[in-house]
Amino acid sequence: MIRLENVSFSYANLGPTVRDLSFHIRKGEFVAILGANGAGKTTTMKLIDGLIRPTSGKVTVNGADTRETPVSQRARQVGFLFQNPDRQICRNTVREEILFGLQTVRGEEGEEALKQRVDAVLEDFHFTGDEEPFSLSRGQRQRVALASILAVEPEVLILDEPTTGLDYLECCHIMDRIRRMNEEKMVTILMVCHDMEVVLDYARRALVMAGGELLGDGDVRTLFRDTALMERASILPPQMIALGTRLGIAEADTPETMAEAILSRRGGGSA
Amino acid sequence: MREIFQYVPGTSLIHRLNPMTKLLLTLLICVAAFLTGNLFVLLGLLLVNLLIGFCAGIARRTLGVFKGLMKIAVFLFLLQVLLTRKGTPVFWIITDEGLYTSAAVVLRLIVVCMPLTLMLAVTRVSDLANAMVQVAHIPYKYAFTITTALRFIPQFLEEMSDIMEAQTARGVAFDKAKGLKKLGMMLPLCAPLLISSVRNTEHTAVAAEVRGFHLRTARSGFRHYPFHGIDVLTLLAGAALIALSAVI
Amino acid sequence: MISFESLSFTYQGGNVPALKDICLTVPDGGFLGVIGPAGAGKTTLARAVSGIVPHAYRGDFYGSVKVHDMDTVDTPLTDLSRCVGMVFQDVDSQIISTMVEDELLYGLENFGVPHAEIPERLDFALDRVGIPELRERAISSLSGGQRQKVAIASVIALRPRVLVLDEPTGELDPVSSRQIFSLLKSLQRDFGTTVIVVEQKIMLLCEFADSLAVMKDGALAYQGQTREVLTHAEELLDLGVNCPRVTRLSRHLSDRLGKPLPVCVNLEEAEKQARELMA
Repeated sequence: MIRLENVSFSYANLGPTVRDLSFHIRKGEFVAILGANGAGKTTTMKLIDGLIRPTSGKVTVNGADTRETPVSQRARQVGFLFQNPDRQICRNTVREEILFGLQTVRGEEGEEALKQRVDAVLEDFHFTGDEEPFSLSRGQRQRVALASILAVEPEVLILDEPTTGLDYLECCHIMDRIRRMNEEKMVTILMVCHDMEVVLDYARRALVMAGGELLGDGDVRTLFRDTALMERASILPPQMIALGTRLGIAEADTPETMAEAILSRRGGGSA
Repeated sequence: MREIFQYVPGTSLIHRLNPMTKLLLTLLICVAAFLTGNLFVLLGLLLVNLLIGFCAGIARRTLGVFKGLMKIAVFLFLLQVLLTRKGTPVFWIITDEGLYTSAAVVLRLIVVCMPLTLMLAVTRVSDLANAMVQVAHIPYKYAFTITTALRFIPQFLEEMSDIMEAQTARGVAFDKAKGLKKLGMMLPLCAPLLISSVRNTEHTAVAAEVRGFHLRTARSGFRHYPFHGIDVLTLLAGAALIALSAVI
Repeated sequence: MISFESLSFTYQGGNVPALKDICLTVPDGGFLGVIGPAGAGKTTLARAVSGIVPHAYRGDFYGSVKVHDMDTVDTPLTDLSRCVGMVFQDVDSQIISTMVEDELLYGLENFGVPHAEIPERLDFALDRVGIPELRERAISSLSGGQRQKVAIASVIALRPRVLVLDEPTGELDPVSSRQIFSLLKSLQRDFGTTVIVVEQKIMLLCEFADSLAVMKDGALAYQGQTREVLTHAEELLDLGVNCPRVTRLSRHLSDRLGKPLPVCVNLEEAEKQARELMA
């Protein structure tokens, strides 16, 4: 579905921001891109959506080279949720905002069909539709932004730190909704997220980046347990994984399973 | 586009001039351009501009600004040439006087706009503000307003380009539109951006206040801006430009 | 000492109070973490300490806030600012200059720090925040995370007795966020600085803060020693505040064993607890 072949990218008069990236993401995967600030994560996501074009190498989405199709045409296939929802929201009510996104991408379906789509999304996200986006909280605005992207029903959803600035409940709302899209509609998810606990809970595959290069690609838990890799990429693994590494427990990654594992080892495992 | 007002660090002679000298020289060049109608003097002033840019080691920026201004200039030149009726026709409705005055008008435009952007490329905005307060005794409030305005421009452009990127990603065809059509698509986005910018300036004012805005005096500045021999020479050269353009 | 005495505050034009009857004290050299869901009043609380509420943001102010014996209502904002340094939530709008070095100089110059002392203050702030290489850079060329560090450095350079930070790590990755909290801890230790930080990253607060204030709908829901507050894990979750996984682990362990175990707040404690159980 998404394929990068030896992709490099550099901004004018700066050194390369990403170097020689190659990976393939299949339909329905839930992938997290991990790495420190400046590792090239956001650049990678923008390359996939074609917001920037590779200096060398090739990016294809559904077989189409991103250099050959304009970004705006790809919006129906690929939804991009930015870290700051205010960049995206440009209408006065939630209903208009959702409708605006639909009209630009699915305008040919006609007023009635679009209206039905808007109503369905509003109900799904528990909005009345008359709210003014800029009087809502940041977490609510992030949900408005997500709702207007999901209304389009893209095949791929790219998320740039979707939980930054949100409190715990808002974070759960957003992430649970995204997981449902992934599981029910086989939407491919690609996300950058600094909260490793969220990554552990939701993502299945991880790409680990540092200094613009891909250092690791594989199962989230396996990569988190690779202490040397985590060190090289300046990533602090989630608490339960880190604890498991210290204690030599590799089968547990939640507080519940960890408690189980610790108790089963009581008194040298005889309990 | 984003970098157009950004400072380019350097240690050239031009960089080391007193910020007030640079500001005054900028004004002198502008005045000289308005005093003269002579094409050759204007060309000379343009040459002075380019020379300053090259001496300051910012040749690329200088040429970039020049090219940008040329685009506007060509448009204005054509408009003016076609609208001028005075003088002897040389070709179709185009007259010799039309050609001459139009060339002067656009050259003047370029000569006036260039030194302003060049000055900002070789002067830190805060040095400019500090020097205004220390040397010219302009009240800090006004200097602060100028620096805030100058700081605001790159921030505004950055936000605008981020917003356009976000809108393109959701299917608004910014990447296919050109010229006036693109402008038309941008306008509705400007309103929320302006509102948030105004709100941001309020935050900036509070942030400045809690870091001692009201305590700042002419003597607060850590850096000092003495005048050197080279500053005097530069200003004399500037005065000479004025004299030259007034006489010829 | 900082003390809130029954503080209630409603912003001008607002119809619900942003703060309701807040009673809270922070001892000199204390480290208070403030957490709570969106709209709980955390930012207003931070503003009340620095005097921005009610001086710059006006409204109905009842009760009192005292910072080092200064009543924030009677003391001019500029005088309070000499004592309280504030890092704001919005990264871009608090930056005043176009260059990193100038941004740090701004407060130092205004508050009349002797010019002989300034170079040392600049080095101190840039080194502690870990950005000495950014000194000559234009701020517009920096990433969000780098700008956030500049904003923090420009306040650290002033060496305020009280440091108030409103979500100072929003743009930072986990390693940089920890670095900022370690820095705050070292200022507390080395200079006795009182630190008040609004933060969503509960793991950082648990590791670094001495006490926690949990807010909900403008009121204080819980306050006390960090460990003590964390014993209310269940109730906190209902308020929309998560607990670190190690804390949940010790709760599961004590449930399973049927006896109370001490609450762990960081990895080291959890490891020790687990090893003791497994021994």
